[in-house]
Amino acid sequence: MAMLEVKDIHTYYGNIHALKGISLTVEQGEIVTLIGSNGAGKTTTLRSICGLQKPRTGSIQLNGEDLNSYKAHQIVSKGVAMVPEGRGIFARLTVAENLDLGAYTRNDRTAIQEDLERVFTIFPRLKERQRQVAGTLSGGEQQMLATGRALMTRPRLLLMDEPSMGLAPVLVEAIFDVIKAINKEGTTILLVEQNALMALSIAHRGYVIQTGQIVLQDTAANLKNNETVQKAYLGIE
Amino acid sequence: MKKQLRHAVNAGGIFGIITIFLFLIGFTGTAADLFSDLFRNKNAAPFLSLNPQMLNMLIFLGLIGLWAGAYGSRKSKSQTDDPWGAALIGGLTAGLVHGLLVSGLALLVGTLNLRGVRINVYLSELLPDAIKLFLVGKSPLQGATVHIVFLTLTGFLGGLLSRGVGRGSWRVRSGAAWNSILEKISQQSIVKQVRGSRNTRYVVYGILLLLVFLLPLRAGPYWNYTIGTVGIYVLLGLGLNIVVGLAGLLDLGYVAFFAIGAYTMALLTAPQPHHLMWSFWIALPIGVLLAALTGLLLGAPVLRMRGDYLAIVTLGFGEIIRILSKSDALTPFTGGPSGVKAIGFPTLFGKPFNSGVDFVYLIFLAVLLIIFVTNRLQNSRVGRAWEAMREDETVSRAMGINTLTQKLLAFAIGAAFAGLGGALFASRNVFTGPEDHNLMVSINVVAVVIVGGMGNIPGVIAGALMLKGLPEVLRQLEDYRVMVFGALLIVMMLWRPAGMIPSARRKMEVEKDKGVIETPDEGRGK
Ligand SMILES: Nc1ncnc2c1ncn2[C@@H]1O[C@H](COP(=O)(O)OP(=O)(O)OP(=O)(O)O)[C@@H](O)[C@H]1O
Ligand SMILES: [Mg+2]
Repeated sequence: MAMLEVKDIHTYYGNIHALKGISLTVEQGEIVTLIGSNGAGKTTTLRSICGLQKPRTGSIQLNGEDLNSYKAHQIVSKGVAMVPEGRGIFARLTVAENLDLGAYTRNDRTAIQEDLERVFTIFPRLKERQRQVAGTLSGGEQQMLATGRALMTRPRLLLMDEPSMGLAPVLVEAIFDVIKAINKEGTTILLVEQNALMALSIAHRGYVIQTGQIVLQDTAANLKNNETVQKAYLGIE
Repeated sequence: MKKQLRHAVNAGGIFGIITIFLFLIGFTGTAADLFSDLFRNKNAAPFLSLNPQMLNMLIFLGLIGLWAGAYGSRKSKSQTDDPWGAALIGGLTAGLVHGLLVSGLALLVGTLNLRGVRINVYLSELLPDAIKLFLVGKSPLQGATVHIVFLTLTGFLGGLLSRGVGRGSWRVRSGAAWNSILEKISQQSIVKQVRGSRNTRYVVYGILLLLVFLLPLRAGPYWNYTIGTVGIYVLLGLGLNIVVGLAGLLDLGYVAFFAIGAYTMALLTAPQPHHLMWSFWIALPIGVLLAALTGLLLGAPVLRMRGDYLAIVTLGFGEIIRILSKSDALTPFTGGPSGVKAIGFPTLFGKPFNSGVDFVYLIFLAVLLIIFVTNRLQNSRVGRAWEAMREDETVSRAMGINTLTQKLLAFAIGAAFAGLGGALFASRNVFTGPEDHNLMVSINVVAVVIVGGMGNIPGVIAGALMLKGLPEVLRQLEDYRVMVFGALLIVMMLWRPAGMIPSARRKMEVEKDKGVIETPDEGRGK
């Protein structure tokens, strides 16, 4: 049984039909990437999975359990965390308070403390800046904070929406290294990216989404060599 | 140096014009009266052949003079060093110019008076006392001299003071002997201990609290009434602070919950219209609970809205409660437009506890309780969730926060505080009616929260003092009251845009360059 199984979901924003039958699976321990151009429906897919925008039809199952009847805040305690697009940090709260909020659903104090230490080992920068107001962090630091905050929920499935957005190439590489490391430690990852080349180089499998539909799916290596993908997303002629 | 001099001359000129303006509109005399009330020296013996009123006027002028000197001695931005000499000369120059201008006026007024020119007749008829006052009861030349000397002196003093105190010389600055002494003292282990320890803070709070608690005994009924009103507004402010400041829900109908508290107290304890006459102590918690319940009931449908819509709907709700309480149809139930009279009062050990002083204590007690509760809430998981929600509702849902529950909770707790305030208010006033609960109350409470400093407790207290206490203090100014109050508000918002005592967060929002919040880590739900 797959960890995450999305079956033919249709999600709407009012009358706008944003997802027109998306199906995808993510296996335990995988990094799966979802690539596609602007407005294709990548963010909407993630929002559907974590319950922020409920699909009108279709089903989403986490370890065989239907998520449909759960609200967004309940899905978090099922082990699904999100690093939202544009980071979505709490700008006027401090770094430490942001991280604290990541562990909002948890009560296991010692484990929370352990996770905090772990986040600080992954992102030493955050430890230095605990007292700083998050809104004054640099873009890269904010991305670290958003990732760290998601890790504080101790997720089994981590949804990441364009973690490389607006970062310098060096930082992009650093973030992708972290994603790989988090995955090695056992967190399953569904990664949405514009930076398809980077995403495909760390992912196991990938899906290509176009105007609300999956048009292609394969292993990452195959997608990288696929001509249409190269033309459309990798900028290779 | 040249720049500094020019600045000082300018400062003197500006303050000269201000002083003359204040004199011409008769404000100087009013201020003198205010001081005489303050010092209670109306009937004091003359000092240096100056009667008390003249003395008071000179005190007022002296304050302006100090200010002028302080302002005039300020170093320009481009200057890096800040020598004593320049500051003193600046203060002196500003004072001199200030004095020259003002004594010019004194001479003018005086000589015009001597020669009997028409404008002078007009002036002296209009302000005979004021002119005598302004000449310090002397001949024009003497009067003018007094002004020059006096204002120059105060200008110099102002320069001295601002150089000595205002620029951090008190803080550690090597060189001056004074500082090294201070430094030595502060390095003594005892001093360090006393300054550093928590207990010192508690002792200071204790002394403050003691003073506050002794105050009502000396204050008299009028001031006790005012203090009580301030206290009730602190309650309201703290409640709204939770709703607006922490949870970020703009509630403009907050008075509704105040009204529910007040009417519950009124209807349950008064002989009319229901003849229930329950005990105050039973009606009080019922009022609080009913207000909280109303908060929940109103919140459930309304809190799904965001921002402006919420503000408008709550605004309407506040008015609806008032209109209902006034309506003819409900008169048998609410007492209608004429309100409810003879509201019950608290008893303590079988004795009535309802004097002006008693009520002040009761309100103090309520304020302390609410401060305690607010403080606990703010540092709890719930408080953190509210703040997250205020920052970004969607993301806080993705963090596992049930935003609807949290909003309802904030709304109900805020409403409960208002209900408590309303119940105390009704009982203290013995009467309550629809007009006690109009839109102005909501607006005032919002203003208390904003002026004081959104999001923290001392700010709310300061705001209530400023908006509800200060107008009463200014009542002595009579006609100028509203003007001075308005001016103070404007000055304050310019001077402290984040409120009088802003929370660290608000402050950082306004002063963007300060990103680090100095919060102690204590009490956080780790
Ligand atoms: N809140 C909304 N209201 C209405 N339409 C929306 C909303 N959010 C997204 N859409 C629409 O849904 C479609 C999919 O948007 P989505 O944000 O999922 O795209 P995306 O693949 O994440 O794009 P990008 O790479 O630019 O982030 C778009 O056509 C967009 O205009
Ligand atoms: Mg997107």
